[in-house]
Amino acid sequence: MSDTYGLIRYAQTKHLAFTEVAEGLEDGKFHFSAKDNLCADGFQARAGSAVLDGYSPPFDATCIGRMKGSGGQLVGKTTMDEFGFGTFSTNSAHGVPLNPFDRERSCGGSSGGAGAAACLIPGHIALGVSTGGSISGPASFCGVVGLTPTYGRVSRYGLIDYGNSLDKVGLLSRSASLVARHFRTMAGPDPKDPTSCAQPALAGKGRMPSSLAVPREALQNLDPSVRSSFQEALGKLKGMGMEVHEVSMGSLRFALPAYYILATSEASTNLARYCGMRFGRREEKFDQHFNDFFTGVRSEGFGDEAKRRILLGTFCRMVGFRSRYYLKSLAVRQLLIEEYRKVFRDHDAVVTPTMPFVSPRFEEIGRMKPLEMYGADVLTVPPNLTGMPHISVPCAYVAGLPVGMQMVADHWKELDLLEAASAWENVFEYRFPEVSL
Amino acid sequence: MKIGLEMHFQLPTRSKLFCSCPTAPAEPNHNVCPVCLGYPGSRPALNRKALEAGLSIARFLDCKIEERVWFSRKTYFYPDLPKNFQITQYESPLGTDGHFDLNGRRIGIWRVHLEEDPGRIKRVGRSGEEIAFVDYNRSGIPLVEIVTAPDLTSPEEARALIDQLVTELRSLCGLEAQDEQTVRVDANLSVGEERVEVKNVQGLRNLEKALRFEANRQSKLLAAGKKVVRETRRFDEERKVTTSAREKETEEDYGYIGEPDLGEFRIGEMARNLELKETPLARAKRLVASFGIGEATAKQLVLTSHSLTDLFEELCLHVPPERAVSWTTGPISGNWAVLQDQAKWPDIVRIVKDDSEGLINDTEAKRRILSLAGVQQEAAVEGGDGLGKLISDFIDEHPEVLADYRKNPKAANTVIGHVMKESKGRYSSREVVEGVRKELEKRV
Ligand SMILES: [Zn+2]
Repeated sequence: MSDTYGLIRYAQTKHLAFTEVAEGLEDGKFHFSAKDNLCADGFQARAGSAVLDGYSPPFDATCIGRMKGSGGQLVGKTTMDEFGFGTFSTNSAHGVPLNPFDRERSCGGSSGGAGAAACLIPGHIALGVSTGGSISGPASFCGVVGLTPTYGRVSRYGLIDYGNSLDKVGLLSRSASLVARHFRTMAGPDPKDPTSCAQPALAGKGRMPSSLAVPREALQNLDPSVRSSFQEALGKLKGMGMEVHEVSMGSLRFALPAYYILATSEASTNLARYCGMRFGRREEKFDQHFNDFFTGVRSEGFGDEAKRRILLGTFCRMVGFRSRYYLKSLAVRQLLIEEYRKVFRDHDAVVTPTMPFVSPRFEEIGRMKPLEMYGADVLTVPPNLTGMPHISVPCAYVAGLPVGMQMVADHWKELDLLEAASAWENVFEYRFPEVSL
Repeated sequence: MKIGLEMHFQLPTRSKLFCSCPTAPAEPNHNVCPVCLGYPGSRPALNRKALEAGLSIARFLDCKIEERVWFSRKTYFYPDLPKNFQITQYESPLGTDGHFDLNGRRIGIWRVHLEEDPGRIKRVGRSGEEIAFVDYNRSGIPLVEIVTAPDLTSPEEARALIDQLVTELRSLCGLEAQDEQTVRVDANLSVGEERVEVKNVQGLRNLEKALRFEANRQSKLLAAGKKVVRETRRFDEERKVTTSAREKETEEDYGYIGEPDLGEFRIGEMARNLELKETPLARAKRLVASFGIGEATAKQLVLTSHSLTDLFEELCLHVPPERAVSWTTGPISGNWAVLQDQAKWPDIVRIVKDDSEGLINDTEAKRRILSLAGVQQEAAVEGGDGLGKLISDFIDEHPEVLADYRKNPKAANTVIGHVMKESKGRYSSREVVEGVRKELEKRV
């Protein structure tokens, strides 16, 4: 046990995976962490933003309450991009997490701290949140299993919103079996989140996928090493007895713009509440007009990426642009759902690499333009936009760095993905960095 | 002149629209929780009772009701709005395209929708050194917004519409009694071509004043050959004038998006299955149609009491409607406190029937009714004089009432109320009203 606590402290100090950790471990409990945008009594919940400094929510998120209720101890809150706005966890006001395989590289984002914690601490389960790929991405870069459930499967009560119609609470860990066990704990309807109340009950066991679809469009613009690793992985899947077919999914290319429009439109309204009045960061300059007061708090409290997305989202909702962008994006989402459904008529899952490249160095990230960064989400955004469950598992190592493979299934079929991920662990051995305390 | 109204009424639910906080009045910021304070991580869950109340209003107004509805976010920054967006309905109201019959005239109802109330700001201290306090007890209180077509033709008619609507909605779904004072109205008014919106007027009286002022202002501008500017104005309650609000916002400027946390609601089935109570004015209309009684009489009956009207309908099964009217608005309503006991109704019906069939005369019938009410016959027979003395004594003691009466005939109600109370039901309301009117007119 003390070893585990040592590893937690190590992950916090050497890899900046945690913003806060518990003072010690309780005996007889399993240990889990939560991304810092999940509210928990006794911890701050700052969602990677300085505007929330000092916010200690007086309640537990439903998913955290359920984990505690089944014998878990919340051991810490993990670092993240501000409000989930990022692909590399570099947009964080509370420390940028460093990759477990190479501290010069990113953990992925926005659940970067969760990815690092899941990788560095054996048996650890890290709750992450995905809006456009924030579980798959870190799982890929940190070489762990990351499950993003169907939208509405796990209650969002207690989650600090990014894009409410896209946000999903999921899990990261070293093994699919651990993910499966705790996924069952967290799933299920919750009256406090009406969007969780329409879900079908979880089956006893999943069905092993037997036919996989690989969309041709998803294989463009991949780093060559990722492409060849993925082709090799497909070979292993065939070796497991699965059929692999190439398909065409022409609407995938609309997913990225539609996603950024919907996510930022919603985000720009969600972030309106941060004005220094009721919680989080506040200033005592009460003699100002409220508009100036709000502007002051928001200018100081939000990071650049948050400001960029507020502007983008507000623009998309404006008169004259709303139907051109926001309403059209809603239509694209429907189109994409239909396209996936068509593929699922003949296939059990869609499989692609998770990220187009292995984890980049921070100096490379520093040179990327916002649009290049958004482009890194090209493979993770489609299932997120359509609310379909997906799982990322390590499928290769390139120069010591993990490569991720992502499988997407139809709504509510998480257990099928977990079956496949478990079977995958029998044919491919995961590696984790050696840690000496 | 064309006037259209957007009225906001509080729906009578015990808890708020999206959380379980009570709606009852309390110390400032006592009825609050993470949801209605907009704490990060909290989210709304719709109060079914509010949805039902809203739907019964939409159905009562004969609106078209879609199968599915959703909510929207209206984003604007203001300290009383915890999330800096209000959850309301924009593209998808509960009902559209209905109507309300106002004294025989059909007033179009454009839409009925639900929304949450913001908090309240209270300013204290001298001007220039004011401190503003925010009370979030009202944040999340369920409101129904009802929007009329610009079919109203005068401030008086606008007032009458709200007056009658409140009466109806109160009995339909239990709107609070003080709604005439608390109703919040945005009105648009045009005398000529251009319309002006007067925003955020609280209470019926202010509304009528605001509309009168605005009608006057526009007429004068037009008479002087000037143009009315299309704009939003606010009513200054103290100065009783409207002033330009210098706002350019149109509804589209609020950047509406769907409220993703609530999803869609299938309301078609729910709306169809609602049992609507018969409202007073609808009942009055039915009484006129089925019994051929006068509209004024019918209204008097239904507005006096629901159960008195029940007795009236019961009597109509046995005697001609005009007899039923004269008994229910006469001696029966005069002693309603006692006679509303339904155990006494069979006896009442028999007495009125016997009288109507000529088995007993009117005096005997009245004596029996009064004795059923526990009133001594002597007191009733002494009749006129005792009543006259009660009335004139009260007016002698309260000369201010007479002064008031000269300005406003409604002051007679003070005397009527007093005499009704003092005489404990010895006289029918008609006798008292006539007596008071006569005495006051004599003195004026
Ligand atoms: Zn509340």
